[in-house]
Amino acid sequence: MPARGPRRALLLLLPAALPTAAVLGAALTVAVLQSTGLMPVVGEPDPTTATYRALAGDRALLDGLRVSLGVAAASTALALAVGLGMALLARTTRLGGRLLRAAAAATVPVPHLVGAAAVGLLLADSGLAARALGAESFPPLVAGPLWVAVVAEYAWKESAFVALVVLAALAAGERELDETAATLGAGPWQRLRRVALPMAAPAAVAAGGVTFAYVLGSYDVAWLLGRSYPEPLPVLAYRLWTDVDLARREQALAVAVVTTALALACLLVTAALLARTARTARAVR
Amino acid sequence: MRTRRPTLSAAVLGTVLAVSACSGAPEPGSEGAAAPSAPDRSWDEVLAEADGQTVDLWMYGGDQQGNTYVDDVLAPAAAELGVTLRRVPVADTADALNRVLSELQAGEDDGSVDLVWVNGENFATGRQADAWLCDWTAQLPAMEFVDPEDPLLTSDFGTPVDGCEAPWHKAQFVLAYDSADVTDPPASMTELFDWIEANPGRFTYPAPPDFTGSAFLRQALYAVAGGPDEVPAEFDQAAFDEVAPQLFERLSGLAPSLWRAGETYPRDLAALEELYAGDQVDMTMTYGPATLAQQVASGALPESTRVLPLDGGTLGNASFLAVPANAGDQAGALVVADLALSPEQQLAKADPAAWGQYPVVDLDRVPADVRSAFEALPSSPAVPPFAELSRDADPELGAGWVAPLEDGWRTDVLGG
Repeated sequence: MPARGPRRALLLLLPAALPTAAVLGAALTVAVLQSTGLMPVVGEPDPTTATYRALAGDRALLDGLRVSLGVAAASTALALAVGLGMALLARTTRLGGRLLRAAAAATVPVPHLVGAAAVGLLLADSGLAARALGAESFPPLVAGPLWVAVVAEYAWKESAFVALVVLAALAAGERELDETAATLGAGPWQRLRRVALPMAAPAAVAAGGVTFAYVLGSYDVAWLLGRSYPEPLPVLAYRLWTDVDLARREQALAVAVVTTALALACLLVTAALLARTARTARAVR
Repeated sequence: MRTRRPTLSAAVLGTVLAVSACSGAPEPGSEGAAAPSAPDRSWDEVLAEADGQTVDLWMYGGDQQGNTYVDDVLAPAAAELGVTLRRVPVADTADALNRVLSELQAGEDDGSVDLVWVNGENFATGRQADAWLCDWTAQLPAMEFVDPEDPLLTSDFGTPVDGCEAPWHKAQFVLAYDSADVTDPPASMTELFDWIEANPGRFTYPAPPDFTGSAFLRQALYAVAGGPDEVPAEFDQAAFDEVAPQLFERLSGLAPSLWRAGETYPRDLAALEELYAGDQVDMTMTYGPATLAQQVASGALPESTRVLPLDGGTLGNASFLAVPANAGDQAGALVVADLALSPEQQLAKADPAAWGQYPVVDLDRVPADVRSAFEALPSSPAVPPFAELSRDADPELGAGWVAPLEDGWRTDVLGG
C-alpha cells in the first residue's frame, strides 16, 4: 500500500518535529510580537513597524547584513569545495575513504567555540603561524578586514560535515556504478562528471544549505575572531539585546527575525535545488 | 570584579521597571522611599540570632582566587561564629539581583539570597526597586575601622550608600606599560595621547561596552574635559552635549595612530592582554591591579611591565556586600559582612597570594599589629602599593553616564 509509506514517515518524524516546532514557534512568535511592539517590556501594546523602519535606515544593520551574507557565502563555498573534493578523492581507495571518514568524524564534534579559539591561537598577529614564519608583518587574519579567520574556522569545521554527508551518499552504490561505467569505456573525467558528481550533488546541496543557514545564525566564532565593526547579524542582535537601554531589545529581536527570515529563505532555495539534483541522481541510477 | 558586566542588566532593568510600575515605587534614593531598614537591636542579639543560620553569598564566580578566599578563609571564620557560609557563584552579579527582584515581586519573605557582592549599576538598580536592606552598616562593630568620610565608601558610582551595603574592597583603574619598550613613559592622559600619536600602532583599548574599555572612556573624558571637577557625577544631558563631542573628536583623531589604525579594537580586556603579551602593543590597562601583579609574577605578562603613574590620578571605586530586603538569614548576613570587614579578614584578603584585594579599612584606625602586617605584605615590582596608586583617585561617574558614552563612542568613533 503506497499511501502508508509517507504517512508512516510523517508519524515517525512527529517526536522530533513537534518539540522543534513548539520551541522554535514559541520563540519566533515572541520575537515577532516584541519587535512589532505588541508585547512591550514596559508600557501598553502598540502595534508598530517603527523598529524595522528604524533598522532599515541604520547603517549597522545593512553593514551587518553584508558581512553576514559574505561570510556565510564564502564559508559555504570553501566548505563545499574542500569537503566535496576530499570525499571524491577519498572514494577512489578504500583506505582513503576510511581515513577521511575518521578525520571528519573527529572534527565534527569539536565545538565551534573551541575551534575558534584554536584558529585564533594559530592565526592571530602574534599567534603560532606568525611566530613560526617569523614574519615582520603578518597579514591581519584575525579581526582583519576580510574576516579570514572566521571564514577559515567555519570552512574547516563544515568541510568535515560536508565530507561525511557526501561520503555517506556515495557509499550507496556509487562504486558499482563507477565500475560499470568504467567497463563500458568511460574515462575518469567522464565518470566523475556523469556518475560521481550527480550522485554526490543532492547530499552536497543539502549540506551546503545547512552550512549557510548555520553560519548566518552563529554567534561565537564571529564574536571571537571578527572585528568590532561591522558586526554580523547575531553579534549585533546580542549586543542590542544586552544593552542597558530597554528600547534596544525590540531592535535586537527585529535583527533576530531578519536573520531567521534569511535562513529560512536559504533553506527554501536549498529545498528547490535539492529536488532538481535528486532527479538527476535518480536518473543516473 | 567585573562590576558592570553587560549581560542581563537589561533584563534586570526590565524587571525593576515592572516592579516599580506595579508598586508605584519612588525614584532612586529619593526622600520618603520605603527602603526597608534593619531592626534596631544590639550586636549581641544579632550574633545570637545568626547562630546556626546558613548565609548564601551570591558573587561573581569567574574569579578563582576570590572563590578560594571565600571557601578557605572566610567560610571557616564564619563557621567559628556559628554561621555556615555558602558561596553561590553567578556568571553576572545581575543574575543575583534578578533573583532578588523576582522573589520580591512574588512576595517571597524568606529569600534565597542573603548577601550579594555588588556595586555600581546593580546597586543603583536594586535601590531603585528598594531591594536592599538599609541602615544596617552602622550596627557592624567593624565599621569603626572605616573612615566615615571616605568618598569612595559613601557614594557608589554616584548613588549614595546610605548604610545599604557594607564596604568590602577597593579597586583602582591603572594603565600599564612595558618598560623594556617604552623608555619615556607619559605622565598624564594628555601626554599619553601625544605618546600614542608619536608611536603609531602601539596602543589600543578594549571596545566598549567592555568593562575596562568603558573605564578607559571615562578616564579619557576626565582628561579631555580638564579634570573630574569639570564633569558632574550625575548624568546631565547638557553636560554630556558639552564634553562628550570633545572626547569623541579626540579619540577619532587618535584612531589612525592606534593598533590596526583604529579600524578595529580588541573585543575585551583578555584580547588586549593577549596583544600586549604578544608584543603587538606596548600598553595594557585594568581595573584590578592585583591581577596585573599576579600575571607578571606567573609570566603571563612581561616581567618589565610597570604601572603607568598618571598625574591627576586614575578612577577608583569600591565594591560592597549588600543584604536583600527579603534575605532569609538576615542576622547571619550581617555577621558575615562584619567579619569580612574585620581588619584580620581584610589583611588576609589583601595578601596577593590569597586574593590581593585592596582593603577598605583605614590603616590609621586598625590595630598596630595589623597595620604592620599590611605594610609587610609582599609587593610586586610591577604594581606600586595601593596608597601610591590611589593618590588623587578620581571619583567614578554616575551609572547614568555609562550607556550614553558607550553609544556615542560606537557611532562617532568606531563607526565614524
